[in-house]
Amino acid sequence: MTDNKEKLDFTQDKSSRRPKSTTPSTVKKPENKDALGAMIKVTIDGKDIKVPMGTTILEAAKELGITIPTLCDHSDLCVAGVCRICVVEVEGMNNLQASCAYPITSPIKVHTHTRKVRQARRHVLDLMLAKHYGECYSCVRNGNCELQDLADQYGVDFYRFGHMEKPEKGSDDSSYAIERDMDKCILCRRCVRTCVDLQEVGVYDVLDRGEETHIGTFLDKPMNEVICINCGQCINRCPTGALHAKDPSDVIWNAIDDKSKHVVIQTAPAPRSAIGECFEGVEPGTPLTFEMNTAIRYCGFDKVFDTNFSADLTIIEEGTELIQRLYGALVEDKGEALPQFTSCSPGWVKYIEHFYPEMLKHVSSAKSPQQMFGAVIKTYYAELNDIDPADIVTVALMPCTAKKFECNRPEMNDSGFKDIDYGLTTRELAQMFKEAGIELPKLKKSDFDDPFGTQTGSGVIFGATGGVMESAIRTVYELVTGKKIDDLFDHANIMPVRGFDGIRYAELPIEEVGPVPELLEGLVPNWDWLKGVTLKVAVAHGTANAKKVLENIKEGGKLSECHFIEFMACPGGCLGGGGMPIPTNEEIRAARAKAIYAEDEASEVRKSYENPAIAKLYSEFFTEGPCSHKSHELLHTGYNVRGKKMV
Amino acid sequence: MQVIEREKVKSEIKDLKAKYGDDRSALLPILHALQNKYNYLSDVIMQETAHSLDIHPVEVEGVVSFYSFFRTNKKQGKYVIRLCQTISCDLAGKKNVARQLENELGIKFGETTEDRMFTLEYTNCMGMCDKGPAMMVNDRLFARVTPAKVSDIIADCRSNFIKTDFPDVVPSNVEKTGPILNNDVKNHAGLKKALKMKRPDILAEIKKSGLKGRGGAGFPTSVKWQLAAAAKSDKKYVVCNADEGEPGTFKDRYLLYQHTDKMLDGMTIAAYVLGAKKGYIYLRGEYMYLKNFLLEKIEKRKEENLLGKNILDKGLEFDIELRMGAGAYVCGEETALIESLEGNRGEARNRPPFPTDVGLQNHPTTVNNVETFIDSALICAQGADWFQEHGTEQSSGTKLFSVSGDCKKPGIYELPYGITIRDMLAEVEGEAAKAVQIGGAGGQCIPAKDFDRKISYEDVPSGGSIIVFGPERDMLKVAKNFMEFFVEESCGQCTPCREGNPKLLEGIEMLEEGRCSSSYLSELIKLGETMQVASKCGLGQSSPNAFLSIVKNFKSEVLGRVPEKV
Repeated sequence: MTDNKEKLDFTQDKSSRRPKSTTPSTVKKPENKDALGAMIKVTIDGKDIKVPMGTTILEAAKELGITIPTLCDHSDLCVAGVCRICVVEVEGMNNLQASCAYPITSPIKVHTHTRKVRQARRHVLDLMLAKHYGECYSCVRNGNCELQDLADQYGVDFYRFGHMEKPEKGSDDSSYAIERDMDKCILCRRCVRTCVDLQEVGVYDVLDRGEETHIGTFLDKPMNEVICINCGQCINRCPTGALHAKDPSDVIWNAIDDKSKHVVIQTAPAPRSAIGECFEGVEPGTPLTFEMNTAIRYCGFDKVFDTNFSADLTIIEEGTELIQRLYGALVEDKGEALPQFTSCSPGWVKYIEHFYPEMLKHVSSAKSPQQMFGAVIKTYYAELNDIDPADIVTVALMPCTAKKFECNRPEMNDSGFKDIDYGLTTRELAQMFKEAGIELPKLKKSDFDDPFGTQTGSGVIFGATGGVMESAIRTVYELVTGKKIDDLFDHANIMPVRGFDGIRYAELPIEEVGPVPELLEGLVPNWDWLKGVTLKVAVAHGTANAKKVLENIKEGGKLSECHFIEFMACPGGCLGGGGMPIPTNEEIRAARAKAIYAEDEASEVRKSYENPAIAKLYSEFFTEGPCSHKSHELLHTGYNVRGKKMV
Repeated sequence: MQVIEREKVKSEIKDLKAKYGDDRSALLPILHALQNKYNYLSDVIMQETAHSLDIHPVEVEGVVSFYSFFRTNKKQGKYVIRLCQTISCDLAGKKNVARQLENELGIKFGETTEDRMFTLEYTNCMGMCDKGPAMMVNDRLFARVTPAKVSDIIADCRSNFIKTDFPDVVPSNVEKTGPILNNDVKNHAGLKKALKMKRPDILAEIKKSGLKGRGGAGFPTSVKWQLAAAAKSDKKYVVCNADEGEPGTFKDRYLLYQHTDKMLDGMTIAAYVLGAKKGYIYLRGEYMYLKNFLLEKIEKRKEENLLGKNILDKGLEFDIELRMGAGAYVCGEETALIESLEGNRGEARNRPPFPTDVGLQNHPTTVNNVETFIDSALICAQGADWFQEHGTEQSSGTKLFSVSGDCKKPGIYELPYGITIRDMLAEVEGEAAKAVQIGGAGGQCIPAKDFDRKISYEDVPSGGSIIVFGPERDMLKVAKNFMEFFVEESCGQCTPCREGNPKLLEGIEMLEEGRCSSSYLSELIKLGETMQVASKCGLGQSSPNAFLSIVKNFKSEVLGRVPEKV
């Protein structure tokens, strides 16, 4: 396989549309740090440091270990410089400067906590608190709120300029996934920059001006009437409780308490790598998979299953669909829609339904692992254990807010029941643990429940961008060639599709083919037609990157030649999901990825088709094999042309 | 909206894109055109415009809701009456006119009559400060409106202005001229001379003249041009800031109308110095009635080979496009103006980098005031020494002042920098003043004891606005008017300005009601000081100035009031 990343040119940014007021102060950092004038000496609070030209005061201070408070600044987003909490004094300048937005281009002396600075910061804070409905006890972000932290650090013990006593705007809970409580908004605009720039979805923007300025949706429509994809990235970056997910934990507790209900939970790969972050003293990237199983049982769930099972099932179904499309295109000369797009990420699915509905035929009809699992539990598992599916409550622990919307799609009840009753985020499960008095890191480990408890590496890597592609390659390559992928890639680690580059591209030449395996018998007569074919794949994460890929395909660019493309709505894939612990940044996401790949390495089963539970399911339940009539009924779905019209 | 109508709107947007460009910078002109046609911007229009420019509908709404001239309300009268509520018109009796308008039409401000004929709105400074109270009916201007005239104006509207006693164009009132307004320099003489000079020589001449930006900030023009000229880029822009929005300023309105060619000469000289091929005039929405006049001027210059591919056969290529603002004071700030030209909300950018490096569409850009361009053209024609004959060491030349308020001779004055306030008051016959606001809403309020101070960059700077307050004026009401202005005109992005101004206004209301302790007042003064140093742009930084200077200089007048009984 070759990694042809460098051949792709996505640098030409056609979107000149982004307001420059929120564009980073573009002083390009020098490539050669040894060049004359490339490094500049700065003195901050009496300490000297040399930094590359264009470094912001904030970055330089960080390097010196000097803390400057921030609110609107976020490392994933472009610079705004609007909250003014990070102001510092630069010698020789009368006005204070926003350290997040001030690029250093000449030697300067900076002071970060003079009287003038302290007074300004305190005023900024007091002004924010005056307009913030700060009912901390009843706030979802109590204990994890950047505004609360600042009030603490600055010793706020009275409201200098008054305080909002009653909510004025009320909250919008119309969406299945995302609730907005604008009385808590401090207008840092992180959500706007997330939605417009990072994700290019464009639900929010700043409306009106002056005192009336607020963050709104188009025509201030409720969230269920706008083009929101429910990715929840705005929640992850909101410094306060103005944006939060719709929390189903109360009804889940009720189900647990109801003895007539059989409550099962599946846990997705990404949450296990991150749930520890919700507990004190746990570093990002500490997997607590098996402690979590113990805690879940302690809470009273009847069964805890591993979503890895249905991730593997997805690979079989989606892989089979890909083979069908390839056969149709290469042998039968049918106008198959290629490349095939993955369908695991419900944020991505809603994105394409809104913005590129004409390309929906490319999307695999396979349901996401969450939904497949639900369908299997309420049919196969119910039969197996003789439980009335009406009494089964399926909970899905997900890193995701869009999963809450997905499980409520009307088409997702092929078993005759709602496939999944509740989508629960990592944050919400951690909260349930805390309510039950569980200190997660201290618990003993325990395994998943049978029959869907096999820990597979091929499933767990679904949690990282590129993971679905990697699993698909491992399985498809081995099923087609009969050879071990390990011969091509050390430890079957397919490095070209890993990493955090926005768009990745790789090629996999199929030089030899083997016999058609039993699982796929009847699907194709042989593999000869694939001999000599080079499979071309790509991976994109974050919908802004997805947009670039789709535009490239529409223009007939290089990616239109791909056979299979993985899309994840969230930056970093599921490990950067909207339901994951707050805060998020590149470093934290990298730590989570490391934990996920370590779990993959440690797994005995690392190829989906080798998962024994999968083999059992096809021999006992989907006996006609993948993509058969029955599997289509339960494991596949259709999509809606939503379009982007709102009026 | 019907499908057919939606398709019609779509095809209109397509035509407008062909005219104004297919990227976001075409947004404001497109919205202006659609509003002209449909009288308001419907939800469908906003959505289709967004989709056609490949931006999000909510972004278009963000822009529309930012500018006060864009309307999304269908219930808009055929005649929209906008009464100026800013300080000078307020002093001149706007309240009584407002009351009578409400009486005649039977509606309140912000409402529309049942028959959809009239809508009443307030607007901020329209540049008619010496002839207040002023109001606009659609884009027609009415000056010195009295309560008694209100019913006539309404009757004129009802008869479609067929018979009206009010003139089409309200002439400006020039009380005193000087070397800038009154000279023998022919149009284009400065340009012709400049094109024979080498670029560095022009810069040297302007540097020698000591010309500083006439908009108010007072940045040396030669330095600005030099920086933009030295910046490396394939494209550069010259922008004329004709967004004269500072309350109490109306001299650019006159200059744009009477000295247009010299201004265009100045822009062309700047283009030559910078190596810019494209220029923009950003004209404030309130001066819509000057639009066609300026367009004709530009056209005429093209015919005369003063604009185009080969200007005066000297191989200079330069073209000027006119862009309209839409009612936002903050767009007078140069980076906010650039944002507006790019089709965004007029929100100031972070600086550095400065527009001379990273300006319009990220290319080096110089933004100068109308008067600055005229001065530049004259300096090229007459030489730096001529310009330096007047003024002080750090503030050379004469300056146009817009004088309004409580004086006998309001109007435009050309006076040398360095003149004392006292001398100026003698000139305008306002000697009895108890205070003078210098530099507009963001300027300083100077009390009588300081009337010997000089108007200059080294003492009391001014972009030209002089508002005189007579002995009977209630200074708290003055401060309140200024704060109301900033609460509305803040762009809303940075915390100190957005949240601070309403707090200062609240403080004034407490003072009015006589329930503000002096300790809370000093808290507000400190807040004002924070706003001065911590706000993102010049608007926020200068917004508390009037409040601070009034409560400081008139402390015993503002404290301890017994509230007026209503």
